[in-house]
Amino acid sequence: MEFFGKIVAAGLMNGAVYGLVAIGFVLIYKSSSVLNFSQGYMLLLGGYIFWSFRGGLRLDLFLSLLLTLPCAFLMGILIERITLRPLIGQPLLSMITVTIFLSLVLEGVASLFWGTYPLEQITIFPKGALKLGKTVLTTESLFAFGLAIVVMMVLIFFFRYTRLGLSMRGVAEGHEIMQSMGISVKRILTICWGIAGVAATLGGILLGGTLGFQLGLSHIGLLAIPAAFIGGLESPEGAVLGGLLIGLIESIVSGYVGKAAGVPASYIVLIVVMLFRPYGFFGLERIERV
Amino acid sequence: MLKLNNVEVKYVGVILVLRGVSLEVRDGAIVALLGSNGAGKTTTLKAISGLLHTELGEVTAGSIEYDGSRIDGMDPEQIAKRGIIQVMEGRQVLGHLNVEENLLLGGYIVKNSDIKKDLDMVYDYFPKLKSLRHSTSGYLSGGEQQMLVMGRAMMAHPKIMLLDEPSLGLAPLIVDEIFDIVTRFNAEEKTSVLIVEQNARAALSITEYSYVMENGRVVLDGPSSKLADNEDIKEFYLGLSKLGEKKSYRQVKHYKRRKRWL
Ligand SMILES: Nc1ncnc2c1ncn2[C@@H]1O[C@H](COP(=O)(O)OP(=O)(O)O)[C@@H](O)[C@H]1O
Ligand SMILES: [Mg+2]
Repeated sequence: MEFFGKIVAAGLMNGAVYGLVAIGFVLIYKSSSVLNFSQGYMLLLGGYIFWSFRGGLRLDLFLSLLLTLPCAFLMGILIERITLRPLIGQPLLSMITVTIFLSLVLEGVASLFWGTYPLEQITIFPKGALKLGKTVLTTESLFAFGLAIVVMMVLIFFFRYTRLGLSMRGVAEGHEIMQSMGISVKRILTICWGIAGVAATLGGILLGGTLGFQLGLSHIGLLAIPAAFIGGLESPEGAVLGGLLIGLIESIVSGYVGKAAGVPASYIVLIVVMLFRPYGFFGLERIERV
Repeated sequence: MLKLNNVEVKYVGVILVLRGVSLEVRDGAIVALLGSNGAGKTTTLKAISGLLHTELGEVTAGSIEYDGSRIDGMDPEQIAKRGIIQVMEGRQVLGHLNVEENLLLGGYIVKNSDIKKDLDMVYDYFPKLKSLRHSTSGYLSGGEQQMLVMGRAMMAHPKIMLLDEPSLGLAPLIVDEIFDIVTRFNAEEKTSVLIVEQNARAALSITEYSYVMENGRVVLDGPSSKLADNEDIKEFYLGLSKLGEKKSYRQVKHYKRRKRWL
C-alpha cells in the first residue's frame, strides 16, 4: 500500500508536466490544425536553454527563468515562421512529416550546442522530503507538480476569459471568419506557437529539475502527445486530465511490471482509447447542421 | 464612396471569373447585386473585402477605390479596419463559441469601444440574440445564425456592410424581418450596404440602386424601382425556381475548393 501511494504520487507529478506540455500541443492543433510532433524536442531545447542560464552561467533561479521564457516564446515563433506557416491548409501528411523531421533537427541543434552527454545536475527546487501518511514525497516533485498545476490553471483561465484567449478560440473555429472581422490570424497563430514554446519549456525545466537535463527528456516529453490525444486534442482541460492519466499509467506499470514497460504501456493505452473513442474523452462534438 | 472600376479577378492565376466589373456604392446607400448562381457576386464581394486572398484569387486588372484610395491588394484585416466588413454567405458562425463570444470578437477591431453599449445596440436590433447569448452558436437555427453574423458585423461599426445572400434558405417571415433590420440599421447608423441576393424581389424593394451580374459582368443596372419593372428582370425571377438543385451543387463545390489561409 505504501508502495502504491508512492507510485500514484510520482505518476500524478509527472502527469502534471505532461499535461502542461500537452496544452501547448492542443493549442497548436486547435489554432492551426497542425499536429506538432516536435513538441517533445521543443521541451528538450527549452530545458537546455534554461540550463545554460542556471547551470552554465550560474545565474539566480528567477533571473534564469526570466531570461528563458522570452527565448522559449521566440523558439515557438521561429519554428512556426520557418517551417510550418507555409503548411497551413496543406494535407495532414506533409505537415506531420515536417514536424517529425523538425524533431530531428531540434535534437541535432541540442546535441550540437550542448553535447550528447547529460548536463551537470542542477538544483531548481529546494531538496527535502515530506511525509504524507506512510508515503514519502520529495519536495522537488511537489514543487514541480504545484507549478505545473498553477501554470495550467492560468492558461485555461487565459483561454476562457481574456480577449486574446477568445481570439485564439475563434481562430480555432475558422481562419476566414476571423479575417472577415479584421482580426489578424497570423498574429494569433504566432502567439499560439509562442505559448506552446513556453509551455514546453516549462515542462522541460520541471522534468529536467527532477530527472536531470539529458537528451532523453524529449522522449519523456513526447508523452504529452498521447495525453493530448486521450484528452481529445481540442480541449486544454482534457489535456490536463490526459496528462495525469498518462502519468499514472506510466508510473504504475513501471512500478509493478518493470521500468521499461512504463512508456510503451502509455502508448498501448493511447491505441486502445483511440479504438473506442477516436475523439478522445473531451474532444469537441462535431456540430453538423444542414 | 466605394467604387469598382473594370475589376477583373482570376482564381489560381488562370480561372477568369470577373471580366471587368464596375459599380458604385454611395455613402449611406443600400445597393443590390443580383444574378444567378455562379455569376460572380460572391467573388465581387470578396474582391472588395480582400478575402479573395484566402481562396487563391486575385484582382488582376482594374481598381477598387474606397474614399479615394485604392484598397485592392490590401490584406483583409486592413480593409476591415477601414470599415468594410463582409458578412459571408452560409452564416459563418464560430460554431463552438456562444452567441456573445461571437459578437465580442466582431467588435475587437474597434479601438476603445464601449463593448457593453455595442452589445446593447445589437441586442436592440436582434432581441432574440439577447435571450440566446449563452447558447452555442453552432446549434442555433438558420435565422438565428443569420442574425448573429449580421450582429457580429454591426459590432465593428462598419462604414460599409457587404451582405452575401442573407435570405438564402430562410422562411419568408424571417427574411422580411432581416430586411427590415438592414433598412433600419442603414438609416440609424448611416452604414452603406451592398447586398447580394437571389431573392430579387425583396432586394429590389429595399435598395435604391441595383446591379445585375451574369457571367462575371454587370449586364444591367439602374434604380431599383425601374429594374423591378424590367422584362429581363422578370425573366430572372423565373430562374429562381431552380434554386434548390443549384444550391446543393454549389455547396458541394464550395467544400472542395482549395484554400490558402495566409
Ligand atoms: N475559389 C475558387 N476557385 C476557383 N473558381 C472559383 C472559386 N470561387 C468561385 N469560383 C468560380 O467563380 C464563379 C463565380 O463564383 P461566385 O462568385 O461564387 O458566384 P455567385 O456568388 O454569383 O454564385 C463560379 O463559376 C465559380 O465556380
Ligand atoms: Mg455566392
